[in-house]
Amino acid sequence: MATQVFKLPESLKGDVKYSFCPGCDHGVAVRLVAEVLDELGVRENTILAASIGCSVTIYDFINVDSLEAPHGRAMAEATGIKRARPDKIVFTYQGDGDFASIGLAESMHAALRGENITAICINNTTYGMTGGQLGPTTLVGQVTTTSPTGRNVDYYGYPIKIAEHIALCDGTAFSARVSLDTVANIKKAKQAIKKAFEVQIHGLGFGFVEILSTCPTNWKMSPEKAHERVRNEMMPVFKPGIYKDVTVQN
Amino acid sequence: MTECLTNKKVLTKGNYAIANAAVLAGCQCYFGYPITPQSEIGEFMSGKMQELKRGYVSAESELAAINMTIGAVSTGVKAMTSSSSCAVALMQEGLSYAATDELPVVLVSVMRGGPGLGNIYPSQGDYFQATKGGGNGDYKLIVLAPSTVQECVDLTYKAFYLAQKYRNPTVLLADGLLGQMMEPVEFYEYPYPEIDTSSWALTGAKGRDGRIIRSYGPLADDRCVFLEKLYAKYNTIEENETQWEEINTEDADIILVSFGSTSRNVKTAMKMLREKGIKAGFFRPITLYPFPSKRLHELSQNTKKFITVEVNMGQMVNDVRLAVNGKCPVELINKGVGVPPSAKEIVTRVEDLL
Repeated sequence: MATQVFKLPESLKGDVKYSFCPGCDHGVAVRLVAEVLDELGVRENTILAASIGCSVTIYDFINVDSLEAPHGRAMAEATGIKRARPDKIVFTYQGDGDFASIGLAESMHAALRGENITAICINNTTYGMTGGQLGPTTLVGQVTTTSPTGRNVDYYGYPIKIAEHIALCDGTAFSARVSLDTVANIKKAKQAIKKAFEVQIHGLGFGFVEILSTCPTNWKMSPEKAHERVRNEMMPVFKPGIYKDVTVQN
Repeated sequence: MTECLTNKKVLTKGNYAIANAAVLAGCQCYFGYPITPQSEIGEFMSGKMQELKRGYVSAESELAAINMTIGAVSTGVKAMTSSSSCAVALMQEGLSYAATDELPVVLVSVMRGGPGLGNIYPSQGDYFQATKGGGNGDYKLIVLAPSTVQECVDLTYKAFYLAQKYRNPTVLLADGLLGQMMEPVEFYEYPYPEIDTSSWALTGAKGRDGRIIRSYGPLADDRCVFLEKLYAKYNTIEENETQWEEINTEDADIILVSFGSTSRNVKTAMKMLREKGIKAGFFRPITLYPFPSKRLHELSQNTKKFITVEVNMGQMVNDVRLAVNGKCPVELINKGVGVPPSAKEIVTRVEDLL
C-alpha cells in the first residue's frame, strides 16, 4: 500500500506556479514557511506583511491574509497589524535590500521594541528584481551592475551581517542564519523558521531568520554553481548559526 | 489634560481636543513621531492608549508611523497618526499606498511654516500637500479643515467616519494656531454609525482563502480599470460629502473665501465691510477635498469678485479660479506665514482691491 510522503502544504495555493527564476532559493524558502505554518496550525490566524522585490511575490503563492508594504516598510506595517490584532501571528518576508538597507531603521527598531513578529529575510547579496545591483550584503570583491570592477571597500564600504546585528537587540528572542545549499541545511533552515514563529506564539519577542539564497540569473550561474557559491563564498563570511535564542539557557 | 472627557464642556487646546475626540471615536491605535506644533497629540495618546489597553507606538520615524497606521487599519480597526508639514512630507509615499490600497488611514496634519524646516509659526502652506498629494500617481485624500477647537472635535469624528465609509485616507488639516490655542469645547459620543469592515479587512483567513491588499498592478489594462473605479468613488465622495459654510453670499458684490483658522478673522472682516455699506459675502470650504467648486461656480454667476484670504503664498486661490473659470476676477490677500491677518487689516486690503 502506497504511503504519501510529500504533498502540497495547505498554506500554499495549489493552483499557481512559482514565478521565481529556475534555481532561485525563494521557492524553497516559501515552501518551508508554508510547511511551518501548517505544522503550527496557524494558517487561518496569520497575517503577512509583504515587501518589495522578488520577495513580494510570496503573496501569490502563500494562502494567508497579506498586506503589501512599500519598499522597506514591511516591519512598520507588521508592527501596526500586531498592535491592532495582538492575537494574530504576524510575519514579514523580505529581501536583504528591503530588510537591511531601505528598511534597516524599521527592522532594528522592531527588534529593539521586541515586537512579537517573525521576520524572514532572504540574503542573495544583490538586488534581484531590478537586475543585480550592489546591495547591503554584496560581498567584498563581488561584481554587480553597480560595482562593475567588484566591491572595493575603500569605495563601497562593507556588507552588513544582518543576523548578528539583530541578535544584539535586547528585544530579539531568536536570531539565526541558515542556508539552503544542501538537504541537511534545508532541514536546519526549517527548524530555525519554526523557532522564529514559536517565540512569537509564546510572546517572547522578535524572531528572525536570515536565509542565504541563490540568485542564478543575476549571478549568471547555473543553479548548481550558484549553490557552490553560497557554500564557498557566502558561508565563510555570513556564517550560518543561531546567534540568539532566549529559550536556551546559557 | 489626561482625562478622557465625554459630555463635558471644557477649556482645552486644539491638539488635546483632537486626541480626546480620536479616543472617543474608537481609535484603537496611534502611531507618531514628535514634531512641534502637534506633539501634545502623541503625549496624550501615549498615556491614554496604554490605560485603555489600545495600541501606541512611539515610531522611529514618520515613514514608520504612517506605515504602522496602514498596517493597523488593514485589519479593520480605526487608527491614526499625526504630524506636521516637513514631517508629513515624509508620509507622502504611505498616503499614496493607502489611497490605492483603499485603506482608511486618518492623518492629523497640524501645519507649521515651510518650506523645508521652516518654522513653528502657524501656516496654511500645506494646502497643496494635503489636497494635491505629494505621493506618486492619481489619487485623492479626503481633507477636512477645522476653524475652531470645537470643529477639531467634530471633524475628527467625521474623519474616522468618512475614512471607513469610503475606505479612503482622510486628513484633518489644522494649523499651529488651532493646535495650540485654548477654547471652550464640548465633547459628545461618536455620532456616526460603525462601518462593517469584515468584507475586506485582514483578520486571518479563517475558513477562506487569503486576501491580498496590494497596490502592485503589473498589467496596464487592469490598472486602467482599477483607476476608473477609484475615480468613480471620488465622484461619489464629491457628490455626497462636499461641505462648506457661506454667509451673506446671495446679494454679495465680493465674496471672501478662506478656510481654517484664517477664516475667523475673514468672517469678522466681512461683517465690518457690511457695516461700511460694502456688500461682502463669506465662503468657507470645510472639505478642501472634495472642494466646493460647484457652489463657487454658481455664486460666480451673480457676484463681481472673489477674494481668497490665506496664510501662504496663494494656494487655495488656484482652486477658486478653476471653479470660477474666468466668470469674474479672483484675487488674493495673503501673508506668507504666521498668525492670520487681523480683520482690520483684511478690511483695508479688501478696500484697496475694490
